[in-house]
Amino acid sequence: MKTFLEQPPRNGDETVVKVAIEDLNVYYGATHAIKSATLRIPRQRVTSFIGPSGCGKSTFLRALNRMHDLVPGTRVTGRVLLDQTDIYARDIDPVDIRHRVGMVFQRPNPFPKSIYENVIYGAKLQGVHRRSDLERIAETSLRQAALWEEVKDRLQQSALDLSGGQQQRLCIARVLAVAPDVILMDEPASALDPIATSKIEDLISALKAQYTVVIVTHSMQQAARISDETAFFHLGEIVESGHTTEIFTRPKQKKTEDYITGRFG
Amino acid sequence: MEYFLRRRRQWGNLVALACFWMSAILVMVLIVALLGWLVWSGASALSWSFLTSVPNETGAGGGIGPEIFNSFYLLFLTLFFTVPLALAVALYLEEYAQPGIVASAIQLAAEALATVPSIVMGLFGLLVFVFVLRWRFSALGGALTLTLLNLPTMMRMTQQALHAVPGSLREASLALGATKWRTIIHVVIPGAIAPLTTGIVLIAGRIFGETAALIYTAGVSVSNANPYDFGLFHPAETLSVHLWYTHAEGVAVDAQRIGSGSAVVLVAMVVIFNVLARLIGNFFRRRTSGR
Repeated sequence: MKTFLEQPPRNGDETVVKVAIEDLNVYYGATHAIKSATLRIPRQRVTSFIGPSGCGKSTFLRALNRMHDLVPGTRVTGRVLLDQTDIYARDIDPVDIRHRVGMVFQRPNPFPKSIYENVIYGAKLQGVHRRSDLERIAETSLRQAALWEEVKDRLQQSALDLSGGQQQRLCIARVLAVAPDVILMDEPASALDPIATSKIEDLISALKAQYTVVIVTHSMQQAARISDETAFFHLGEIVESGHTTEIFTRPKQKKTEDYITGRFG
Repeated sequence: MEYFLRRRRQWGNLVALACFWMSAILVMVLIVALLGWLVWSGASALSWSFLTSVPNETGAGGGIGPEIFNSFYLLFLTLFFTVPLALAVALYLEEYAQPGIVASAIQLAAEALATVPSIVMGLFGLLVFVFVLRWRFSALGGALTLTLLNLPTMMRMTQQALHAVPGSLREASLALGATKWRTIIHVVIPGAIAPLTTGIVLIAGRIFGETAALIYTAGVSVSNANPYDFGLFHPAETLSVHLWYTHAEGVAVDAQRIGSGSAVVLVAMVVIFNVLARLIGNFFRRRTSGR
């Protein structure tokens, strides 16, 4: 199988590799969930992971900010280089990694606190305590997440009073407030209605000007709409990766073609 | 045929409903009757001087002031030991421990401790605090015995409260770069505070009413030094012990009256604790949902 790394670099200097994954394996107990996956994720692009349910795309994503550390019985081997530094190296603190690599989950999971408290949660952890700084961070993050206009008059209200789509954008704002380089999104719109979904998609497209976005999606249309790069997962392996347009118009692997044309999955 | 089957189903439903109704009514009637009888027989004993004056061993006119004080004092001491200890163990089991021998052993020990009858726990307290440590009958010995008695329940309730906090919130916090400890302080404990406070107040009601475990540990008399005595090593007869003692062994001429009056006060306190548990629980539920 030809991997992304083995292909010659494309677009000259334009694409800088933000995250390089080499020979990554993830085991849940005896289950070999990710099998020797290698992938390069370019900076300030949207990279999407597609594939049938249970193919390992979420598992792979969670390896990128060491969320597997929290699950007993999970083992990760291989290297994940974030700006050339291996995040699984012995002297790396996963807490630092999670400051740099944020994550948005499948279901909106705001804390049962006020909207304001939700946004500044991460910033407070990083030691920002001055009120004016926190307020500035809250406003900037909420503006970036396209939520400011809807909530600016009720920042002290419960985040749980927001709609599902607003909650998910709040969760994105909460991640932005930590000022990460990379944002991982695990099917961020799968629990939302079409209108909320399109808002999230617009947001993702806007975010790539500043951030590297990696999104897991079960919707091929979504991947085609918003991503620059696509990796296709099947049975724990990356079958194919490359430019989204290429993957969707000229897939090199038979399996990829079968999947995107709807013959399985 | 079809018709009879339908009739039979309807009958079954009706009979079951009637049974549930009668059970519910029976429970209500029992509670009202019990409370009514207690109040009817004890209300005449209630007066300001009864609630505040010191007991009289032999003569008439003794009060229950020091006993009320001791009940609250022991309650405070017991919660002071029980709550942090239960929280620590529950946090360890729920947040840190890997499933395995250690966690199972702690769980098993707690369950075994929970099955010990309170009188046995009282005798254990007698052995350890009174005989071995030579504290005689003491408030501290009583509080520690009550701690042993209530720790398993408090632990279980704390565990359940922590367990009910959604894992997705822990994940969100950790993914934002929080350490496990910060996550516990900022997300897990605030998320569990409503059931936790309800649990504490309910336990408080049980502690308040506990008798058997205290007879041989905190003693059946109030402090000689001072009726309202904070001394940890002085005897501290509580209201419920006093109630038992005046009925069982009392020689005061108005023992009957004192017993009935104490019972009313005791029941009123326990009812107040239960109502408080509900109110505080609701309060925190509103608070922690950010509303």
